Amino acid sequence: MSADASDLSLVRRVQRGDKGAFDALVLKYQHKLVKLVMRYVRNPAEAEDIAQEAFIKAYRALPQFRGDSAFYTWLYRIAINTAKNAVVSRDRSPIEYNIDRHDNDESYEMQGRMKDSETPEGLVLTDEIRTTVNAAIDALPEDLRTAIVLRELEGLSYEEIAAAMDCPVGTVRSRIFRAREAIDRRLREVFEGGLGRAEELG
Amino acid sequence: MNEELDSQLSAMFDDQLPPGECELLARRLSRDEQLKARWGRYAVMGAVIRAERGVRLNAPLAGRVSAVLLAEPALGAQSLAGALPRRGLRWWQPVAAGALVAGVAAMSILWLRAEAPSVVSPLSAHLTTPAAGARERGGRADSYVVPPAPAVPAIVVPSTELANYVVAHSMYSSPVARRNLLSAFMTSEPAAAEEPQDDVKSAAQ
Repeated sequence: MSADASDLSLVRRVQRGDKGAFDALVLKYQHKLVKLVMRYVRNPAEAEDIAQEAFIKAYRALPQFRGDSAFYTWLYRIAINTAKNAVVSRDRSPIEYNIDRHDNDESYEMQGRMKDSETPEGLVLTDEIRTTVNAAIDALPEDLRTAIVLRELEGLSYEEIAAAMDCPVGTVRSRIFRAREAIDRRLREVFEGGLGRAEELG
Repeated sequence: MNEELDSQLSAMFDDQLPPGECELLARRLSRDEQLKARWGRYAVMGAVIRAERGVRLNAPLAGRVSAVLLAEPALGAQSLAGALPRRGLRWWQPVAAGALVAGVAAMSILWLRAEAPSVVSPLSAHLTTPAAGARERGGRADSYVVPPAPAVPAIVVPSTELANYVVAHSMYSSPVARRNLLSAFMTSEPAAAEEPQDDVKSAAQ
Protein backbone atom coordinates (compact mmCIF):
# COMPACT_ATOMS: atom_id res chain seq x y z
CA MET A 1 0.00 0.00 0.00
CA SER A 2 1.51 3.31 -1.00
CA ALA A 3 0.78 6.64 0.59
CA ASP A 4 -0.85 9.14 -1.75
CA ALA A 5 -2.05 6.34 -4.06
CA SER A 6 -5.60 7.65 -3.88
CA ASP A 7 -4.59 11.20 -4.78
CA LEU A 8 -2.37 9.91 -7.54
CA SER A 9 -5.15 7.81 -9.03
CA LEU A 10 -7.40 10.90 -9.03
CA VAL A 11 -4.62 13.04 -10.49
CA ARG A 12 -4.04 10.53 -13.29
CA ARG A 13 -7.73 10.64 -14.12
CA VAL A 14 -7.67 14.44 -14.28
CA GLN A 15 -4.60 14.28 -16.52
CA ARG A 16 -6.55 12.01 -18.85
CA GLY A 17 -9.32 14.60 -19.06
CA ASP A 18 -11.67 13.61 -16.21
CA LYS A 19 -12.65 16.89 -14.54
CA GLY A 20 -14.89 15.06 -12.06
CA ALA A 21 -11.80 13.59 -10.42
CA PHE A 22 -10.50 17.10 -9.79
CA ASP A 23 -13.74 17.91 -7.93
CA ALA A 24 -12.87 15.09 -5.53
CA LEU A 25 -9.42 16.56 -4.94
CA VAL A 26 -10.90 20.01 -4.30
CA LEU A 27 -13.47 18.56 -1.89
CA LYS A 28 -10.76 16.72 -0.02
CA TYR A 29 -8.32 19.60 0.36
CA GLN A 30 -10.42 22.77 0.29
CA HIS A 31 -10.55 23.22 4.07
CA LYS A 32 -6.87 22.47 4.55
CA LEU A 33 -5.96 24.89 1.81
CA VAL A 34 -8.17 27.69 3.12
CA LYS A 35 -6.70 27.15 6.58
CA LEU A 36 -3.21 27.31 5.10
CA VAL A 37 -3.92 30.51 3.17
CA MET A 38 -5.36 32.07 6.33
CA ARG A 39 -1.83 32.24 7.69
CA TYR A 40 -1.31 35.00 5.14
CA VAL A 41 -4.75 36.60 4.95
CA ARG A 42 -7.15 36.62 7.85
CA ASN A 43 -10.34 37.25 6.00
CA PRO A 44 -11.99 33.85 5.22
CA ALA A 45 -13.62 35.16 2.06
CA GLU A 46 -10.28 36.41 0.76
CA ALA A 47 -8.63 33.15 1.79
CA GLU A 48 -11.27 31.24 -0.17
CA ASP A 49 -10.64 33.40 -3.23
CA ILE A 50 -6.93 32.69 -3.00
CA ALA A 51 -7.55 28.99 -2.43
CA GLN A 52 -9.82 28.97 -5.48
CA GLU A 53 -7.10 30.61 -7.55
CA ALA A 54 -4.57 28.08 -6.25
CA PHE A 55 -6.82 25.18 -7.24
CA ILE A 56 -7.29 26.60 -10.73
CA LYS A 57 -3.54 27.15 -11.10
CA ALA A 58 -2.98 23.59 -9.93
CA TYR A 59 -5.47 22.26 -12.47
CA ARG A 60 -3.73 24.13 -15.28
CA ALA A 61 -0.31 22.95 -14.13
CA LEU A 62 -1.41 19.36 -13.60
CA PRO A 63 -0.01 18.11 -16.94
CA GLN A 64 3.44 18.93 -15.52
CA PHE A 65 2.79 17.05 -12.26
CA ARG A 66 4.79 13.80 -12.45
CA GLY A 67 3.97 12.42 -9.01
CA ASP A 68 7.52 12.81 -7.68
CA SER A 69 6.07 14.45 -4.57
CA ALA A 70 2.70 13.99 -2.89
CA PHE A 71 -0.11 15.87 -4.58
CA TYR A 72 -0.89 17.87 -1.45
CA THR A 73 2.77 18.92 -1.08
CA TRP A 74 2.68 20.21 -4.64
CA LEU A 75 -0.69 21.91 -4.10
CA TYR A 76 0.59 23.40 -0.83
CA ARG A 77 3.48 25.11 -2.66
CA ILE A 78 1.13 26.54 -5.27
CA ALA A 79 -1.18 27.86 -2.55
CA ILE A 80 1.67 29.43 -0.58
CA ASN A 81 2.99 31.21 -3.68
CA THR A 82 -0.50 32.37 -4.65
CA ALA A 83 -1.11 33.69 -1.13
CA LYS A 84 2.24 35.49 -1.04
CA ASN A 85 1.55 37.13 -4.40
CA ALA A 86 -1.92 38.13 -3.24
CA VAL A 87 -0.49 39.72 -0.09
CA VAL A 88 2.13 41.62 -2.11
CA SER A 89 -0.47 42.95 -4.55
CA ARG A 90 -2.82 43.80 -1.68
CA ASP A 91 -0.05 45.68 0.14
CA ARG A 92 0.44 47.83 -2.94
CA SER A 93 -3.22 48.82 -2.81
CA PRO A 94 -4.81 50.67 0.17
CA ILE A 95 -5.00 48.49 3.27
CA GLU A 96 -8.48 47.28 4.13
CA TYR A 97 -7.90 46.75 7.81
CA ASN A 98 -4.96 46.36 10.09
CA ILE A 99 -4.37 43.18 12.03
CA ASP A 100 -2.33 42.97 15.16
CA ARG A 101 -0.66 39.61 14.69
CA HIS A 102 -0.34 39.06 18.44
CA ASP A 103 -4.08 38.91 18.94
CA ASN A 104 -5.58 35.57 19.77
CA ASP A 105 -7.34 33.33 17.25
CA GLU A 106 -10.80 34.34 18.42
CA SER A 107 -10.28 37.98 17.51
CA TYR A 108 -8.79 37.01 14.12
CA GLU A 109 -11.84 34.97 13.41
CA MET A 110 -14.14 37.73 14.54
CA GLN A 111 -12.33 40.32 12.43
CA GLY A 112 -12.50 37.98 9.48
CA ARG A 113 -16.17 37.39 10.05
CA MET A 114 -16.84 41.11 10.35
CA LYS A 115 -15.31 41.62 6.91
CA ASP A 116 -16.93 38.52 5.53
CA SER A 117 -19.50 39.02 2.85
CA GLU A 118 -21.23 35.74 3.72
CA THR A 119 -24.79 35.84 4.98
CA PRO A 120 -25.50 35.35 8.70
CA GLU A 121 -27.34 32.15 7.79
CA GLY A 122 -24.14 30.83 6.23
CA LEU A 123 -22.18 31.53 9.40
CA VAL A 124 -24.83 29.84 11.49
CA LEU A 125 -24.75 26.82 9.21
CA THR A 126 -20.99 26.49 9.70
CA ASP A 127 -21.54 26.59 13.44
CA GLU A 128 -24.31 24.06 13.13
CA ILE A 129 -22.08 21.69 11.16
CA ARG A 130 -19.42 22.02 13.82
CA THR A 131 -21.87 21.39 16.62
CA THR A 132 -23.33 18.38 14.85
CA VAL A 133 -19.98 16.75 14.16
CA ASN A 134 -18.73 17.36 17.69
CA ALA A 135 -21.94 15.97 19.16
CA ALA A 136 -21.71 12.91 16.92
CA ILE A 137 -18.09 12.31 17.94
CA ASP A 138 -18.99 12.60 21.61
CA ALA A 139 -21.71 10.01 21.10
CA LEU A 140 -19.32 7.49 19.51
CA PRO A 141 -18.13 4.42 21.40
CA GLU A 142 -14.64 4.93 22.83
CA ASP A 143 -12.81 2.69 20.33
CA LEU A 144 -14.41 4.36 17.30
CA ARG A 145 -13.76 7.86 18.68
CA THR A 146 -10.12 7.07 19.44
CA ALA A 147 -9.57 5.63 15.96
CA ILE A 148 -11.09 8.60 14.08
CA VAL A 149 -9.37 11.19 16.27
CA LEU A 150 -5.97 9.51 15.91
CA ARG A 151 -6.48 9.48 12.20
CA GLU A 152 -7.85 12.98 11.65
CA LEU A 153 -6.21 14.92 14.44
CA GLU A 154 -2.85 13.16 14.72
CA GLY A 155 -2.64 12.08 11.10
CA LEU A 156 -1.52 8.56 11.99
CA SER A 157 -1.57 5.79 9.41
CA TYR A 158 -3.73 2.71 9.93
CA GLU A 159 -0.64 0.72 10.90
CA GLU A 160 0.32 3.28 13.53
CA ILE A 161 -3.22 3.37 14.91
CA ALA A 162 -3.27 -0.41 14.99
CA ALA A 163 -0.06 -0.37 17.01
CA ALA A 164 -1.41 2.32 19.33
CA MET A 165 -4.73 0.55 19.87
CA ASP A 166 -3.23 -2.93 19.85
CA CYS A 167 -5.55 -4.32 17.20
CA PRO A 168 -5.28 -5.50 13.57
CA VAL A 169 -5.12 -2.96 10.73
CA GLY A 170 -8.41 -4.31 9.35
CA THR A 171 -10.10 -3.47 12.64
CA VAL A 172 -8.77 0.07 12.48
CA ARG A 173 -10.11 0.48 8.98
CA SER A 174 -13.48 -0.83 10.10
CA ARG A 175 -13.58 1.41 13.21
CA ILE A 176 -12.74 4.53 11.25
CA PHE A 177 -15.34 3.69 8.64
CA ARG A 178 -18.01 3.05 11.27
CA ALA A 179 -17.14 6.30 13.06
CA ARG A 180 -17.50 8.20 9.81
CA GLU A 181 -20.76 6.49 9.04
CA ALA A 182 -22.18 7.46 12.42
CA ILE A 183 -21.10 11.07 12.05
CA ASP A 184 -22.25 11.18 8.44
CA ARG A 185 -25.77 10.06 9.33
CA ARG A 186 -26.18 13.25 11.37
CA LEU A 187 -24.19 15.48 9.08
CA ARG A 188 -26.11 14.46 5.99
CA GLU A 189 -29.28 15.70 7.56
CA VAL A 190 -27.71 19.08 8.25
CA PHE A 191 -26.52 19.41 4.66
CA GLU A 192 -29.74 18.12 3.19
CA GLY A 193 -32.12 19.63 5.71
CA GLY A 194 -30.39 22.95 6.18
CA LEU A 195 -30.50 25.28 9.12
CA GLY A 196 -31.90 24.20 12.45
CA ARG A 197 -31.69 20.46 11.90
CA ALA A 198 -28.64 20.01 14.08
CA GLU A 199 -30.43 21.18 17.20
CA GLU A 200 -33.22 18.70 16.55
CA LEU A 201 -30.69 15.91 16.05
CA GLY A 202 -28.41 16.93 18.95
CA MET B 1 -25.30 2.38 -0.71
CA ASN B 2 -23.02 -0.62 -0.60
CA GLU B 3 -21.23 -0.85 2.75
CA GLU B 4 -18.09 -2.36 1.27
CA LEU B 5 -17.92 0.50 -1.21
CA ASP B 6 -18.29 3.06 1.58
CA SER B 7 -15.61 1.29 3.58
CA GLN B 8 -13.30 1.48 0.58
CA LEU B 9 -14.15 5.15 0.17
CA SER B 10 -13.20 5.82 3.79
CA ALA B 11 -9.89 3.98 3.34
CA MET B 12 -9.22 5.80 0.08
CA PHE B 13 -9.85 9.12 1.77
CA ASP B 14 -7.09 8.21 4.23
CA ASP B 15 -4.72 7.03 1.47
CA GLN B 16 -4.91 3.54 2.94
CA LEU B 17 -6.41 1.70 -0.01
CA PRO B 18 -4.26 -0.47 -2.32
CA PRO B 19 -3.47 1.31 -5.62
CA GLY B 20 -5.44 -1.17 -7.74
CA GLU B 21 -8.60 -0.57 -5.73
CA CYS B 22 -7.89 3.18 -5.79
CA GLU B 23 -7.94 3.18 -9.58
CA LEU B 24 -11.36 1.58 -9.71
CA LEU B 25 -12.83 3.70 -6.96
CA ALA B 26 -11.38 6.94 -8.37
CA ARG B 27 -13.20 6.21 -11.60
CA ARG B 28 -16.46 5.72 -9.76
CA LEU B 29 -15.90 8.69 -7.47
CA SER B 30 -15.39 11.07 -10.36
CA ARG B 31 -18.79 10.12 -11.80
CA ASP B 32 -21.00 9.32 -8.82
CA GLU B 33 -22.33 12.55 -7.27
CA GLN B 34 -23.63 10.77 -4.16
CA LEU B 35 -20.25 9.24 -3.51
CA LYS B 36 -18.60 12.59 -4.11
CA ALA B 37 -20.94 14.27 -1.61
CA ARG B 38 -20.06 11.65 0.99
CA TRP B 39 -16.35 12.19 0.24
CA GLY B 40 -16.89 15.92 0.78
CA ARG B 41 -18.58 15.27 4.14
CA TYR B 42 -15.60 13.14 5.22
CA ALA B 43 -13.45 16.22 4.55
CA VAL B 44 -15.82 18.36 6.65
CA MET B 45 -15.55 15.89 9.56
CA GLY B 46 -11.78 16.10 9.40
CA ALA B 47 -11.89 19.90 9.40
CA VAL B 48 -14.12 19.91 12.49
CA ILE B 49 -11.97 17.37 14.35
CA ARG B 50 -8.85 19.41 13.57
CA ALA B 51 -10.76 22.46 14.80
CA GLU B 52 -9.83 24.47 11.74
CA ARG B 53 -10.96 27.87 12.98
CA GLY B 54 -12.23 30.44 10.56
CA VAL B 55 -12.74 27.90 7.77
CA ARG B 56 -16.28 27.98 6.48
CA LEU B 57 -17.44 24.40 6.35
CA ASN B 58 -20.32 25.09 4.00
CA ALA B 59 -18.22 27.24 1.66
CA PRO B 60 -19.12 26.68 -1.97
CA LEU B 61 -15.45 26.62 -2.93
CA ALA B 62 -15.58 23.29 -4.73
CA GLY B 63 -18.61 24.43 -6.72
CA ARG B 64 -16.89 27.68 -7.65
CA VAL B 65 -13.73 25.89 -8.81
CA SER B 66 -15.82 23.40 -10.75
CA ALA B 67 -17.76 26.26 -12.42
CA VAL B 68 -14.53 27.99 -13.49
CA LEU B 69 -13.08 24.74 -14.81
CA LEU B 70 -16.17 24.10 -16.91
CA ALA B 71 -14.86 26.69 -19.33
CA GLU B 72 -11.41 25.08 -19.38
CA PRO B 73 -10.54 22.43 -21.94
CA ALA B 74 -10.11 18.92 -20.56
CA LEU B 75 -6.48 18.18 -19.79
CA GLY B 76 -6.31 14.98 -21.82
CA ALA B 77 -7.04 16.76 -25.10
CA GLN B 78 -4.86 19.71 -24.12
CA SER B 79 -1.79 17.66 -23.29
CA LEU B 80 -2.27 15.44 -26.33
CA ALA B 81 -2.35 18.46 -28.62
CA GLY B 82 0.73 19.84 -26.89
CA ALA B 83 2.57 16.55 -26.90
CA LEU B 84 2.17 15.62 -30.56
CA PRO B 85 4.45 18.28 -32.08
CA ARG B 86 7.04 17.68 -29.38
CA ARG B 87 7.02 13.93 -29.92
CA GLY B 88 7.16 14.44 -33.68
CA LEU B 89 10.10 16.78 -33.31
CA ARG B 90 11.92 14.30 -31.09
CA TRP B 91 11.39 11.55 -33.64
CA TRP B 92 12.62 13.63 -36.56
CA GLN B 93 15.64 15.12 -34.84
CA PRO B 94 18.04 12.17 -35.32
CA VAL B 95 16.74 11.53 -38.82
CA ALA B 96 17.22 15.18 -39.79
CA ALA B 97 20.68 15.21 -38.21
CA GLY B 98 21.61 12.01 -40.03
CA ALA B 99 20.40 13.41 -43.33
CA LEU B 100 22.37 16.59 -42.77
CA VAL B 101 25.58 14.70 -41.99
CA ALA B 102 25.11 12.41 -44.96
CA GLY B 103 24.55 15.44 -47.18
CA VAL B 104 27.69 17.15 -45.90
CA ALA B 105 29.69 13.96 -46.41
CA ALA B 106 28.41 13.55 -49.96
CA MET B 107 29.17 17.18 -50.79
CA SER B 108 32.67 16.77 -49.33
CA ILE B 109 33.32 13.74 -51.55
CA LEU B 110 32.15 15.58 -54.63
CA TRP B 111 34.17 18.66 -53.74
CA LEU B 112 37.34 16.72 -52.97
CA ARG B 113 37.06 14.76 -56.19
CA ALA B 114 36.62 17.93 -58.19
CA GLU B 115 39.51 19.65 -56.43
CA ALA B 116 42.10 16.86 -56.45
CA PRO B 117 43.67 16.38 -59.94
CA SER B 118 45.69 13.42 -58.71
CA VAL B 119 42.58 11.39 -58.69
CA VAL B 120 42.46 11.40 -62.46
CA SER B 121 46.21 11.41 -63.08
CA PRO B 122 46.72 7.65 -62.82
CA LEU B 123 43.88 7.21 -65.27
CA SER B 124 45.53 9.57 -67.73
CA ALA B 125 48.69 7.55 -67.34
CA HIS B 126 46.68 4.47 -68.11
CA LEU B 127 45.44 6.13 -71.32
CA THR B 128 48.86 7.36 -72.52
CA THR B 129 50.73 4.15 -72.05
CA PRO B 130 49.07 2.02 -74.79
CA ALA B 131 49.23 4.89 -77.24
CA ALA B 132 52.93 5.25 -76.64
CA GLY B 133 53.36 1.49 -76.98
CA ALA B 134 51.52 1.46 -80.30
CA ARG B 135 53.71 4.28 -81.62
CA GLU B 136 56.77 2.30 -80.66
CA ARG B 137 55.41 -0.87 -82.25
CA GLY B 138 54.02 0.42 -85.51
CA GLY B 139 55.25 3.96 -85.75
CA ARG B 140 51.66 4.87 -86.65
CA ALA B 141 49.95 7.61 -84.76
CA ASP B 142 46.55 6.92 -83.20
CA SER B 143 43.63 8.95 -84.24
CA TYR B 144 42.72 10.16 -80.78
CA VAL B 145 44.43 12.91 -78.79
CA VAL B 146 46.45 11.71 -75.89
CA PRO B 147 46.04 13.87 -72.80
CA PRO B 148 49.30 15.33 -71.54
CA ALA B 149 50.99 13.78 -68.56
CA PRO B 150 50.29 15.59 -65.31
CA ALA B 151 52.84 18.19 -64.28
CA VAL B 152 51.92 17.86 -60.64
CA PRO B 153 53.04 14.67 -58.92
CA ALA B 154 50.28 12.39 -57.76
CA ILE B 155 48.86 13.25 -54.38
CA VAL B 156 47.52 10.63 -52.05
CA VAL B 157 43.74 10.73 -52.24
CA PRO B 158 42.42 11.93 -48.90
CA SER B 159 40.02 9.06 -48.63
CA THR B 160 41.28 8.37 -45.12
CA GLU B 161 40.23 11.86 -44.09
CA LEU B 162 36.82 11.27 -45.52
CA ALA B 163 36.59 7.92 -43.86
CA ASN B 164 37.67 9.47 -40.58
CA TYR B 165 35.05 12.18 -41.01
CA VAL B 166 32.32 9.65 -41.61
CA VAL B 167 33.44 7.49 -38.70
CA ALA B 168 33.72 10.51 -36.39
CA HIS B 169 30.18 11.56 -37.24
CA SER B 170 28.79 8.08 -37.44
CA MET B 171 26.54 8.68 -34.46
CA TYR B 172 24.50 11.03 -36.60
CA SER B 173 24.23 8.84 -39.68
CA SER B 174 22.28 5.70 -40.23
CA PRO B 175 24.20 2.43 -40.63
CA VAL B 176 23.04 2.16 -44.26
CA ALA B 177 24.31 5.63 -45.15
CA ARG B 178 27.59 4.90 -43.40
CA ARG B 179 28.03 1.61 -45.23
CA ASN B 180 27.23 3.21 -48.58
CA LEU B 181 29.80 5.94 -48.08
CA LEU B 182 32.52 3.60 -46.90
CA SER B 183 31.86 1.13 -49.69
CA ALA B 184 32.07 4.02 -52.13
CA PHE B 185 35.60 4.75 -50.85
CA MET B 186 36.54 1.11 -51.01
CA THR B 187 35.42 0.67 -54.59
CA SER B 188 36.56 3.94 -56.09
CA GLU B 189 39.84 4.82 -54.41
CA PRO B 190 41.77 1.57 -54.47
CA ALA B 191 40.63 0.99 -58.04
CA ALA B 192 41.90 4.40 -59.04
CA ALA B 193 45.19 3.77 -57.33
CA GLU B 194 45.80 0.16 -58.44
CA GLU B 195 44.42 -0.18 -61.94
CA PRO B 196 46.96 2.05 -63.65
CA GLN B 197 49.83 0.16 -62.04
CA ASP B 198 48.52 -3.11 -63.46
CA ASP B 199 48.14 -1.52 -66.81
CA VAL B 200 51.66 -0.13 -66.67
CA LYS B 201 52.93 -3.63 -65.89
CA SER B 202 51.04 -5.17 -68.77
CA ALA B 203 52.19 -2.45 -71.12
CA ALA B 204 55.78 -3.03 -70.07
CA GLN B 205 55.40 -6.71 -70.85
